[in-house]
Amino acid sequence: MKVAPEQSDPDGIDQMLDELAALPAPDPSGDLAARVLADAEMHMPAPDPSGDLAARVLADAEMHMPAPGGRPANIPWWQQIVRGIGGWGAVSGLVAATATGFVIGLGAVGETGVDTLWTLGYDTYYDTDVGLDAFGWAFEEG
Amino acid sequence: MPLDARPDEDDATLLARYARGDAGAARALTVRLVPRAHAQAFRMLGDVAEAEDVVQDAMLRLWRIAPDWRTGEAQVSTWLYRVVSNLCTDRLRKRPRTGVALDDVAEPEDPVPGVEARLQEQARHAALREAIAELPERQRLALTLRHFEEASNPEIADRLGVSVEAVESLTARAKRALAKALKGRVAALGYEG
Repeated sequence: MKVAPEQSDPDGIDQMLDELAALPAPDPSGDLAARVLADAEMHMPAPDPSGDLAARVLADAEMHMPAPGGRPANIPWWQQIVRGIGGWGAVSGLVAATATGFVIGLGAVGETGVDTLWTLGYDTYYDTDVGLDAFGWAFEEG
Repeated sequence: MPLDARPDEDDATLLARYARGDAGAARALTVRLVPRAHAQAFRMLGDVAEAEDVVQDAMLRLWRIAPDWRTGEAQVSTWLYRVVSNLCTDRLRKRPRTGVALDDVAEPEDPVPGVEARLQEQARHAALREAIAELPERQRLALTLRHFEEASNPEIADRLGVSVEAVESLTARAKRALAKALKGRVAALGYEG
């Protein structure tokens, strides 16, 4: 390129620069483009996630989004349990059923216990109060 | 090289697309930027193979910076021009000094017409490249953009982000620095001034 001298060129610098600029620059080889593209591929960030993934994430977010004016996010653990069971009505039913089962269970154990006591008492009475033993039987029978 | 596949998209847009995983954007940028960068590197280095290595290195830096590129802060082409210029300068500074005087060049035993002139020309180019490499960065960029890229002063001002007056000052100071560096050797290099 010939740059119009803005002033005289006593040192020949413009002339030297023009000569250097006029050197024919060869076209880059195809190999260079291949190397550059290989580098590009190696350092290319991961592609954007597909639109389908974004749609699924948004659907999940919508499904789990609290209702407007709904309960606060921080719920005590015992309230979470009550809500998980089904509310206070369900808790009441559960307590009643548990109590009933307990009472029935106690009755069965009580009955078994009476029988046991009665049997033991009978045996004891028979052996101790009547006083029969092997020697007595033998004496009476002669 | 094939033609630019996406002429409607500017460099920054293509770079942003590449950062999002668009391989086609990388191909378009390669087609668009590599030839100019190679010509620039060849003029500064005078060696085809070295120029190709510089361009590959510069483009590699572009790929790496792509995810962090801030559109609007700088032009991709200007950024690449600067990187190529600095990489060339690094290589020129590491080269052994040529000793530009023709006294250092052995005379051929049976000089063929033109051989001496060719040697003198090579020595002249080497001396000038070394002197350009020693310039401060902004002077070097302004000078090479003006003389090698045929850019006008307003264009250089726009690319470097300075005023036109600053560009004129930078090129003038660069030429004075070159004249000082080559002082006393101009005649030996074939110029009478």
